[in-house]
Amino acid sequence: MKKKIGKALVVGAGISGIRSALDLAEIGYGVTLIDRSPHLGGILSQLDYQFPTDRCGMCKMLPLVDRDVSSQYCLRKGLFHENIEILLSTELSSVEGEPGHFHVRLRQKSNWVDPDLCVGCGACAQVCPVEVADTFNAGLTSRKAIYLPVPHAIPNPYIIDMSACTRCGACEAVCPTGAIRLSEQERKKFRILVVDDELIVRDSLKAWFDDEAGFTVDTSESGPDALDKLAERSYQLMLLDIKMPGMDGVQVLQKAKELSPDLQVLMMTAYATVETAVEAMKIGAIDYLIKPFDTETLIPRVLRVYEEIEVSKGREIEVGSLVFCGGTSYFDPAVGKNPFGYKELPGVVTSLEFERILSGSGPSQGKLVRPNDGKPIKKVAWIQCVGSRDLQTNSDFCSNICCMHSIKEALVAKEKSGGDLETAIFYMDMRTFGKSYQRYREEAERSHGVRFERGRVHSIILDKPADETGGDLKLSYTDSSGTVHEEHFDMTVLAVGQRPSIGAEESAKALDIPLNPWGYWETEPFSMTRSRRDGIVLGGAYSGLKDISESVIQASSAALSASRVIHSSGGGLAPETKIVPENADLLRERPKILVTLCTCDDAFSKFIKGQELVSRLERDPAVNAIEFVERTCTATGWESIAGLAEKHRPNRVLIGACLPYVYARKIGELSRKSGINPSLMDVVDIRSSLFPMLGPEEEADSKQCAAMAESTLLAGLAKLKRANPSPAPGVRIHQRALVVGGGIAGMTAALAIADHGFEVDLIEKENQLGGNLSWLKSTLSGHSTHDLLNDTVTKIEKHPLIQVHLDSKVVTSFGQVGHFLTTTQDKDGQPESFEHGVVILATGGEEAATSSFNHGKNEAIITQKELEQGLEHNSIDTEKMESIVMIQCVDSRMEPRNYCSRVCCSSALKHALALKEKNANVAIYIFYRDMMSYGFMETYFTKARKAGIIFIQYNVNEAPEVVIPDNAERNGKAVQVHGYDPILGRKVEIDADLLVLSTGIVPNLPSGLAASFGASIDQDGFFAEADTKWRPVDSMKEGVFACGLAHSPRSIEETIATAEAAAQRSLRILSQEYLSSGKVVASVRHSLCSLCERCIEVCPYEARSLDRDLEKILVNPVMCQGCGSCAAICPNSASVLEGFHEEQIFETIDALLEGTI
Amino acid sequence: MKSRSLKPLTPSLKERSNHDSDKGRNMSQSPQKENEYETSPPHDTLAPVKDMVRACIQCGTCTGSCPNAFAMDMTPRKLWRMVLLDRKDEIFQSRTFTLCSACYYCTLRCPRGLPLTEAMGKLKQIAARENLKAHKKSIRFYKSFLDSVRRHGRVHEMEFMTLYFLSMKDPFMPLKFTSLGMKLMGKRKVSIEIPSREPNSLEAIFRKVEEMEERI
Repeated sequence: MKKKIGKALVVGAGISGIRSALDLAEIGYGVTLIDRSPHLGGILSQLDYQFPTDRCGMCKMLPLVDRDVSSQYCLRKGLFHENIEILLSTELSSVEGEPGHFHVRLRQKSNWVDPDLCVGCGACAQVCPVEVADTFNAGLTSRKAIYLPVPHAIPNPYIIDMSACTRCGACEAVCPTGAIRLSEQERKKFRILVVDDELIVRDSLKAWFDDEAGFTVDTSESGPDALDKLAERSYQLMLLDIKMPGMDGVQVLQKAKELSPDLQVLMMTAYATVETAVEAMKIGAIDYLIKPFDTETLIPRVLRVYEEIEVSKGREIEVGSLVFCGGTSYFDPAVGKNPFGYKELPGVVTSLEFERILSGSGPSQGKLVRPNDGKPIKKVAWIQCVGSRDLQTNSDFCSNICCMHSIKEALVAKEKSGGDLETAIFYMDMRTFGKSYQRYREEAERSHGVRFERGRVHSIILDKPADETGGDLKLSYTDSSGTVHEEHFDMTVLAVGQRPSIGAEESAKALDIPLNPWGYWETEPFSMTRSRRDGIVLGGAYSGLKDISESVIQASSAALSASRVIHSSGGGLAPETKIVPENADLLRERPKILVTLCTCDDAFSKFIKGQELVSRLERDPAVNAIEFVERTCTATGWESIAGLAEKHRPNRVLIGACLPYVYARKIGELSRKSGINPSLMDVVDIRSSLFPMLGPEEEADSKQCAAMAESTLLAGLAKLKRANPSPAPGVRIHQRALVVGGGIAGMTAALAIADHGFEVDLIEKENQLGGNLSWLKSTLSGHSTHDLLNDTVTKIEKHPLIQVHLDSKVVTSFGQVGHFLTTTQDKDGQPESFEHGVVILATGGEEAATSSFNHGKNEAIITQKELEQGLEHNSIDTEKMESIVMIQCVDSRMEPRNYCSRVCCSSALKHALALKEKNANVAIYIFYRDMMSYGFMETYFTKARKAGIIFIQYNVNEAPEVVIPDNAERNGKAVQVHGYDPILGRKVEIDADLLVLSTGIVPNLPSGLAASFGASIDQDGFFAEADTKWRPVDSMKEGVFACGLAHSPRSIEETIATAEAAAQRSLRILSQEYLSSGKVVASVRHSLCSLCERCIEVCPYEARSLDRDLEKILVNPVMCQGCGSCAAICPNSASVLEGFHEEQIFETIDALLEGTI
Repeated sequence: MKSRSLKPLTPSLKERSNHDSDKGRNMSQSPQKENEYETSPPHDTLAPVKDMVRACIQCGTCTGSCPNAFAMDMTPRKLWRMVLLDRKDEIFQSRTFTLCSACYYCTLRCPRGLPLTEAMGKLKQIAARENLKAHKKSIRFYKSFLDSVRRHGRVHEMEFMTLYFLSMKDPFMPLKFTSLGMKLMGKRKVSIEIPSREPNSLEAIFRKVEEMEERI
């Protein structure tokens, strides 16, 4: 894979879709990213704060190498990448073909406003008479029928919600650019034929659809007459009655379809003949309508047909692979029994609604007030597991994210209130199973006073009648001792569970992908991303419930699986890129700048006297020509700029328009057409300066606005004059990878890279591959890990590009992304050296050793691993046992190992169920703190309860004690466990034949090893990620990645996902012989440098180093992210940042201040 | 796995007496006395109840929901725990299940969807069938009530209470109810007249129920 090949389709443009698309685009594939909604970002567009930082940070996902292919801009607002084409309001309509060569049909819905023409002035929304609930604010505010789907998107055209629109035409009349297309003429062209023997039906349908809805309607009273009409002229839709004398509807349908196969037919039927209608659908009718008609459902149904067949734009593309990142939807607590009074009590909101209340763009601009009466919120309760872990709502699963997001919401709310807020979280098990989550919870409890109440609130009622208090709430609950409490709250947040994404079931059916029992797409064993159909992969929450960091990991893993398919099938569908002619001598040429000014549909010329501005700009000798362009943002506008460049032959171009970030892709195109280096073209925003005048303050000073526009342009000129056209620096890549660790993570990563055609060295310190899989037997869901191990080892051994080095240890490594030199040592002390471009640390982890609970003092006290091995080798005879005790969280989730190891609860469940199956008479007791049976694992927890396993909850300060009785008291039992059962309120003593301890996982990543590659470890010894959420497998130092247990505790399939993600991140570098950095990188003027090394200390990306032989500070341009810290700290101005040279900056500042001083 | 085949879990799990272990916890348990039953229920008596509540996760929704919880000596949650731990002695000594008024709140709200009201009913049935001494009063109260209903098609309060007093064989018992009886009579809620036996009484229904109960 040395050049651009292949194309992929990513369905769903939420966080996972964006990650997958960026991953595929970064290794050179062309990506089409579609979303059914009219905006990018999915649910993330509504969330402002993410745990554990309680901030956003989405932009950290943007490309870090070859940065200029994408606008470096707020990713929540927009994504602009050369290789990514984004289609919003678009759905998949069909997929044909085979892996590597899929033929995909897309359907793009019209939003009734031309996005190319809409300038976002908002005049339409001001006149729109319709008010409906605003989905962006989760229904807490209202919006018009013509609206902005999210307030912050760029570009952000208005759209019309046809289900709410009354087609009054008010917006069409006021739109200054004619972007709105409600046109009556268009609808008149849509012809409907109504066929019914009853006059009243014909007349009323004609009245509804012709007079009211504006279509053209003809009627027929019988089948033969209808067929005559169909033969005469073409119709788009036929409404056809089933029961008619003579020729019935089904016969008419058959004949009509022969006459005009494209005709859409809706059957009309009485309730009695529904079965016939269903039959009719099998021979081509699209749906049926039941008489008597109800206008509220009938008209929207016909409108939908109209939208689908008339207004949607069909599109066909060829792709090698499809990545589904359809996200998730949420449980609606209003349906069913609704014990919490959601939608009935105004103080009861869902977690998403509360996020909106916290948001600055929310219903109260981020003020903590109750939406119904504006009462300041002083006390909030969170109720966990609403629509999760609830067999009554058919959700025998844990939604994974709710515990953490409730803690986050409590913390953010506390911060917003300035500490003047009481918070209580009612939970059953607090599932803080992610890396660092346990400490986050304890911090919330200890330092911020978030109250955690173990207990389920059964219902919520009004404290007093609503008219007196406005809706204060009363909650009652049982504490762990059994005492019932009543407590008052201003607001209650329901932590609603996840549900399969809308449409997931239909798409699965259409693509023949099985669903799991909860309606999510099923993946292959040990993979979280591959579906049953090769080439169709899943990312993020589409395959099940997950949080952002897991979604991001899986999205990368999905990108890898997709890329593998495209690669193995030869690729070859990608758009070719032309090489831009570089003109190195340009710096010596006198600048000849073409300035184009966007008239923005007269908005500009209306307020600014063009001639004055032109004469001011002309005073600059560098300006070659000044031209006005109508609507730069449209395709025609852009073409006219290309024409002007042809005409004036400038060597630089300054474009005065709006939204500079949108143009990255277009500038690339223009550069290819005109031959002008893209770094010598710039877009500046002259439209924002007009905002004061477009808004309500009509009397804004037009002189000042003109001055603002002028200084923006002058600053742009100053910057452009000093722009450096020399190509962005880069590094040569040694296209070979080193993977340290031969467990399942390392092997998976090695295979993934090698399958893309790059050589891999796999280092393993033991004398065989396999790591922890060599002692594991099976998983909780019953898949054999032996088979997984054997398959993987066989593939590794057969792969021509993978070199396995057993009995080897890394001794040292130096180098940087693109070229590392690593030395290893084998068991005889023989050194070996490797050159490689990237490294993946997959050094794994192991079960923690313990001496707690008398482990090691009696052979009846063992760990989960020892139990697994004992069961495998039959060295533990459980047949005769009567009683087995397990203790969870041994030495875990408390300092110094204050993290959850994720796998111990599932191991305990797995073993307990297996033991019960072997010997139904054995009593099993599990002491636990919080059962972390997250996701679909919850089912096994339920299963274990049903199997009669007794679970006893304990608090960390009341941990059970283990006594090894003297022989006299032994009673035939080896150990005695003394614990406390909070439900009974008593101490319990259990005589046990076997005590199994769940000790958790410790990483096996020596700090020296991590440091030799420039990575660092966290306080628990796990790999420290660049960012836990947005860059979960990267280290801060580019080119170093980690996966598996060295990264964090995780299950086998989660480990494989991180390994694939790490491989994907590596391929982004390996896939190019020469890797370009971004244009904006730092360099050193060695003549001025005093080698004080302060820049090395301050660089957060470790891009700088001192070469003692050359006596020079060196900058790795690919690692440098252009933050400018070095330039700021350098005492001699020796460190400079491209694009921010002093001369350039000073001239820009001068230009901006011109006239004001 | 067949849950009925499970051996009682008690042998390996002992509870320490309350006195030395409570550390001031909120305890609603009374210290237990042994052998108060006329007959101790056989081993598998609890099996059907256990099957009903096996999936319990001790969340406490039932206890929080229960309008009668304040009067119970053991919370419903604790009762289910006792069932799962096979603490027959304590279960049948407790009045908790007899106080269930079958309002179905807990069943409605239980996140595990457990048939808790039915389970309470089952415990009542077991207590009645085994004729447990601890529940003598309520068993006889129910029985006298139903006898009266069976005879007349509706309850005849005077007869009902007389049957109850007779069955309790406690000469002082009527005295405890005298003031309540007087009040009710004053309001003409209780009449002394014995209504005639209805020819079409509820006999058929009662027989059918008896038949069904025998089958269980």
